Amino acid sequence: MSAVGDAWHSRWARRGLLAVAALVAASPLFAWAARRVGYAEPLENAAEQTGATAHEVTYNAGLLPDYTVPGLDPFVGTLLSGVVGTALTLVVVLAMARLLAE
Amino acid sequence: MHIPDGYLDLWVAALCAVLAVGTLAFAARRADGELTDARAPVLGIVAAGLFAAQMLNWPIPGGTSAHFVGGAFAAILLGPHLGALCVATVVTVQALVFGDGGLVVLGANVLNMAVVEVYVGYGIYRLLAGRNQFAAAFAAGWLGITAGALAAALQLGVSEAFAYELLATVSIMGVGHLVLGLIEGGITAVVYRYVADARPDLFPTTPDLEVSA
Repeated sequence: MSAVGDAWHSRWARRGLLAVAALVAASPLFAWAARRVGYAEPLENAAEQTGATAHEVTYNAGLLPDYTVPGLDPFVGTLLSGVVGTALTLVVVLAMARLLAE
Repeated sequence: MHIPDGYLDLWVAALCAVLAVGTLAFAARRADGELTDARAPVLGIVAAGLFAAQMLNWPIPGGTSAHFVGGAFAAILLGPHLGALCVATVVTVQALVFGDGGLVVLGANVLNMAVVEVYVGYGIYRLLAGRNQFAAAFAAGWLGITAGALAAALQLGVSEAFAYELLATVSIMGVGHLVLGLIEGGITAVVYRYVADARPDLFPTTPDLEVSA
């Protein structure tokens, strides 16, 4: 087996992937909790105070806007967005790693 | 900390994009040869983990919230150059697929989270790690994200949409992330300690610093 294959079959890699899966599974709960407390980041607070919110424009809402799936329950959408996002990030970074290793 | 479109003047967005692309090109050149086959999965798992962790907004009663960015953690575990490329990938996927952060200002978001936070965090870690590695990881996460927020505040404060209220953007974002960054620092230090105890060999070797926690 190659070094890459060995690494992916190692115990730490399995644990790492399990930890990532646990984070994704927790994402709907955090989304629910954040909505309950009226979630806002410091950037949004600064935008409100200076009147910048009126200048916000959206050129690209994305295929999964704001980590939701249009037409689906928002918490199911968050979960699916987490799965898609982590998988896509993994694939893109591994492709980049292959390019860097060549 | 993801800036949406419309918030930055075009010249600010363009300048940030040039700085971000230039730094990432430098990082790619420096990372060339650093990445062995055995370390590629570490890079993938860290990047996927950062994406997932950034989805978890910590709700803080009173209406404020933030999420783990992980730039300093990526820098410590992967080295600053691979860390920067890793976080840049996460920020780009977020903008293109999920609309989290604008397209025109993508360079600014990459600069703040993948360049400033990563390199400042790494610098702080290297500065303090000789004394106490756990405290160094904490300070790297805490001050790294604060530096990224201050960079964003500077870009916003010199832009028309924010009425050039630089003092307001710096104070709101700087103080906000200085406080919220304590959580970033705590997570960075705890995860660092766990990984360093379990698999110290996963860390990049540096000539004058041995990772043994």
